[in-house]
Amino acid sequence: MTDAPERTPANRTPPLPDEAAVIQRAADGDRTAFAQLMEHYQSACYGLAWRLLGDPDHAADATQDAFVHAYRAIGSYRGGIFRSWLLRITANASYDILRRAQRRPSSPLPDGEEGSAPELPDIGAVNPVVEATKSELYRHLEVALRRLPEDQRTAVVLCDVYGMDYNEVAAMTKSALGTVKSRIHRGRLRLRQLMAEHRELFSE
Amino acid sequence: MLIPNHPDDERLSALASGDTDATADASLTGHVSSCIRCTDLVNELGALRASLAELPDVPPSRPLRLLPAVEAQTSRIDRAGGWARRFFAPVLTAGAALALVGLVGTAAPAFRVQEVFQNVGSELSAQASMAVEAPAADGGGAEAGAPAASTEEATGGEALSAGDASSPAESNVERTLSAPGETPDDADDGASARAPAPAERSPWPMVLFTGVALMVAAALLRWILAPRAG
Repeated sequence: MTDAPERTPANRTPPLPDEAAVIQRAADGDRTAFAQLMEHYQSACYGLAWRLLGDPDHAADATQDAFVHAYRAIGSYRGGIFRSWLLRITANASYDILRRAQRRPSSPLPDGEEGSAPELPDIGAVNPVVEATKSELYRHLEVALRRLPEDQRTAVVLCDVYGMDYNEVAAMTKSALGTVKSRIHRGRLRLRQLMAEHRELFSE
Repeated sequence: MLIPNHPDDERLSALASGDTDATADASLTGHVSSCIRCTDLVNELGALRASLAELPDVPPSRPLRLLPAVEAQTSRIDRAGGWARRFFAPVLTAGAALALVGLVGTAAPAFRVQEVFQNVGSELSAQASMAVEAPAADGGGAEAGAPAASTEEATGGEALSAGDASSPAESNVERTLSAPGETPDDADDGASARAPAPAERSPWPMVLFTGVALMVAAALLRWILAPRAG
């Protein structure tokens, strides 16, 4: 999630039109402006937390924690892409919850029956921008992500889904750089295997 | 064309990520460019990465509080600053108690001494006029004046150090009455009795000062160490 090249896909929350001014007001203590920012980016934050934690309640808790952290830290916000700044806070809050909740050997998240994980939101239904075929691809990807071991899933989500660089992931997960790279590559290769039967969706 | 001894798949994943160490590896890129299997794998991994990067945002499963509740935030701060309060509260209380004791100890003798001085002053002025008249008759006025004044000073010193001003004051008044007839040695006794007075200075002002200093230090440290919002 480097700040230099801003990458906001069409189905992700774009910046507010007057974002810099709203951020400045929020940093000056305007609670309404802060609420406006959090309302705008809550889906982005929740999506990250949900992908890292796999549980809707934990994801909501992590997002809520991230809002509190952001509220206390926005006075020290020093520019850059606000979405990235907020997502870093969310990732840290999620990772804290993950560490507390999963003090056991890394394991894939339970995903229910194949292709019918009840916790998965119907992305196509809640986001009209997402086409039907893409919606199908994304649903399978989400299921496949949940089948990865936790350490690989965390690394792939942070790096490939949210664009953080290796160093950021290493710092966040308190892991060695080489370990992070290895987790990302192994997780990616495992995802490819899991998506093998839906390969045709990539080309549509 | 299939080439045996394919590179490790993780190296191919690194190439798909565009990692510089992989893209700069001529043997790796050379192999991939001439190997269908590895080319397909790199392309697939590239497509996978692109799709992962497009995964959409997800609306929260339940309504979220967009603003931290002021009470919740305050309670967090209270919890965070609790140790500072717990640590400094007894220090603050001890400082206040010391200051109170010091204040009472400092103020009470002062009031009593003031009363004694007033009594002594009035009696001395009455007796002094009598004393001046009597020695003046036999010519000893010059010698008698100095011991009387010294005794008066000693009286004050004793009253302060003893804390019980009335009886020493009265006895010294009696000595003052007989002073005109005494020798200079008696006056020296008065001076020697005065000497230990500074060593017996009242401890109450120091107690008061210590108490106030403790209170100020504890309150200041509590304020500095307490976390704040924002």
